[in-house]
Amino acid sequence: MQQENFPNIISLNEMRENTGGNIERIEGDSRFISRIVSIGLTPGSTFSLLKNDGRSPLLVFCRDTVIAVNRKESSQILAKVNA
Amino acid sequence: MTTTKTIALLGQPNSGKSTLFNNLTGLHQHVGNWPGKTVERAEGFFDYNDVQYKVVDLPGSYGLSANSEEEVVTRNFIWDGKADLICILVDASQLERSLYMLADFVGIKAPVMLVLNMMDVAEAAGKKIDVKAIEKKLGVPVLGFSAADTKRYPDFLKKLDEAISHPSYIDSAGLREEMIGGNDSPVYVIEKILDDTQLGNVENIWLAVKLLENDKLVQKVVNDSLPFARRNAVKCILSSAEGREGGIATGEAKYRWISKILKETCSEKTPDKVFGKWDRIATHRIKGKIFSFVIMVVALLACMILAFPGMGIGFGLQPVLQSLVEKVGEALGLWTVVVSFINNVLVGGTCITICMTSFIFSIIFVFRILEEIGYMARFSYAFDNWLSRLGLHGKAIMPLFSGIGCTAGAVCGTRVLDTRGQRLFALVLLWAIPCGSKVAVVLFLASTFFGSAAPFFAIGYVALIFLSFWLSSLLFGKKLIPENERVGMIMELPPYHKPHWKMIAAMVGRSTWGIFKKALKMILIVAAIFWALSYASDGNVENTILYKIGNAIEPVTMFFGMRWELFVSYLGGMFSKEASLGIMSTLFNHTGEAFSLVTRVAASENLGEVLAKTISKPEALAFLFASMFNVPCVLAMGTTYREVGTIKWLATIMGYYIALSLGLAFIGYHIGLLIF
Repeated sequence: MQQENFPNIISLNEMRENTGGNIERIEGDSRFISRIVSIGLTPGSTFSLLKNDGRSPLLVFCRDTVIAVNRKESSQILAKVNA
Repeated sequence: MTTTKTIALLGQPNSGKSTLFNNLTGLHQHVGNWPGKTVERAEGFFDYNDVQYKVVDLPGSYGLSANSEEEVVTRNFIWDGKADLICILVDASQLERSLYMLADFVGIKAPVMLVLNMMDVAEAAGKKIDVKAIEKKLGVPVLGFSAADTKRYPDFLKKLDEAISHPSYIDSAGLREEMIGGNDSPVYVIEKILDDTQLGNVENIWLAVKLLENDKLVQKVVNDSLPFARRNAVKCILSSAEGREGGIATGEAKYRWISKILKETCSEKTPDKVFGKWDRIATHRIKGKIFSFVIMVVALLACMILAFPGMGIGFGLQPVLQSLVEKVGEALGLWTVVVSFINNVLVGGTCITICMTSFIFSIIFVFRILEEIGYMARFSYAFDNWLSRLGLHGKAIMPLFSGIGCTAGAVCGTRVLDTRGQRLFALVLLWAIPCGSKVAVVLFLASTFFGSAAPFFAIGYVALIFLSFWLSSLLFGKKLIPENERVGMIMELPPYHKPHWKMIAAMVGRSTWGIFKKALKMILIVAAIFWALSYASDGNVENTILYKIGNAIEPVTMFFGMRWELFVSYLGGMFSKEASLGIMSTLFNHTGEAFSLVTRVAASENLGEVLAKTISKPEALAFLFASMFNVPCVLAMGTTYREVGTIKWLATIMGYYIALSLGLAFIGYHIGLLIF
């Protein structure tokens, strides 16, 4: 990943609570992709991060839905944080 | 003659599928398993306009990828074209996301009707949905609905009639356009390669999409039917860089298609309160757990209050009926053996079944209400970190916690878990969690034998339960939930809803009635066998078959520190915890004419005194440990069998707990011999 060229693209679990952004890309096996896509998170989706306390699963608000995503797999979701 | 039409309900979790199913079919439903699967199959019937409708409630899933057993069942059913109509339910208050199921369905050649459920919630949130416009765009019947509102069912039936008599299919052109983009896109190329292949009742575009989503079942079917060269061409595309990213691209295309439809048919204002104060507390790392704990204690209290009438009837009826039977028996000059059988098997068995199932009803009811409100998801969230260490999903907290109330009822709650491995493992853990009655028995024994040291036993008991979790995790967890299949929490926290008390009470009542009928049969059989073994015409224990068997095997049971009286009490504890005390009461105190499984006047007043005098400390220790991890009760065995579906698994779990409890008894006894 050329993350250094896009300083505001970080993984979901590194984002701060109460910030928003757009999903940039999703990595992982097809099983994970199918689960995360069918619950409503796809590249391009606008979302806000409701909760990230460093331990519990993350809470993401996207497409009118509050979605809990565990920390490990949320690191496979990369997002562009709103300025 | 009436015709029968089959309709299948398809929808994501929380789409209101089961509400619709229950309101349509009422008492005319049958719950079993799909052939060769452990996935629940719910079917029901209703009549409308001279047509008999068979309704199949397909297992809930977020899409049609075949990742879990549930999804495979759903997919095969649709693939085989067994339904006259597929009724897709979506949540109107989260329309964009929940229409994903519809988008995933496009390309399947089956007649469809779309139900936008929870329109009332959507309208209250300020959403305006033009149902007619959506119908026009999709080309299939669409209904704005609210499954919980019984007044709206005539509308549903009218629409259903229309959909059945004029079958219509979703036009795949719009989605195809989104999928394909250019002439070199993987979807397009695969569709071209598939060409005239005809598999199942699906269009090739659907196959192409599923291939790109790495759907193993579709890959197999396609591989088996394509000639070598074309098969390789498909493989080539799937392994290209674009092909490997296919699953994301197709997902994006589906949501693009949905957005296009909604853009012209819906208006919405941004919701102002998506995550309120309560949610902040409920999902807080520490406060959330405390909050959950308080709610669960209140829920358990509610269960007890709810179970009270049923318990009262069961308890109250037994002595009244028994003395009545005795009087009538005397008047008619019936043999005492007949009176004894009626009282100890028929009357006692029925009353105890009423008591036990009233607890099952209340526990399923209360936890169902919590789920309906939307609280269960928060509860699962709060405890996910703890449970994920055992490999379990946070959702397992609900059945595990309700186990404190009643194991048999809690067993039914394991159904919320997604995979069979998770369900089985949760069941194994659940059996170690003591229900109220078990706690009462253990505390009674501990205080009887060890007086002021009893609190230490209580603490030790809790520690042992956690140790047993660790052991179960070693023995079962790793196998049932292999590391590579452990999936973390990805779950929707649904918005809070008002619960529909009456409807849930009716639903739970129906399922409890089913449990009651089966439980009654089972309890009567077990009680009859035990009665036959323990009956003596002169009331002398020494003339019973049980006494003879007990004495014969005593050398073996003493190995675990249990003389035959204690061992029989231990066996009685597998029936119910009260039976364990009742049997001891008879055997040690010589009260009651014959010992019986159904004695409800459990411990006679001076039982403690007599026990303390007769039984040595090491023996007491052995029995105490054996009681802690004994099989929960006959009803828990019954509901567990219902959930696991095979005798093999029921026997495995039973065997494990018998081994564990006897093993602990052995250790306790021999340590006791050294100490005392």
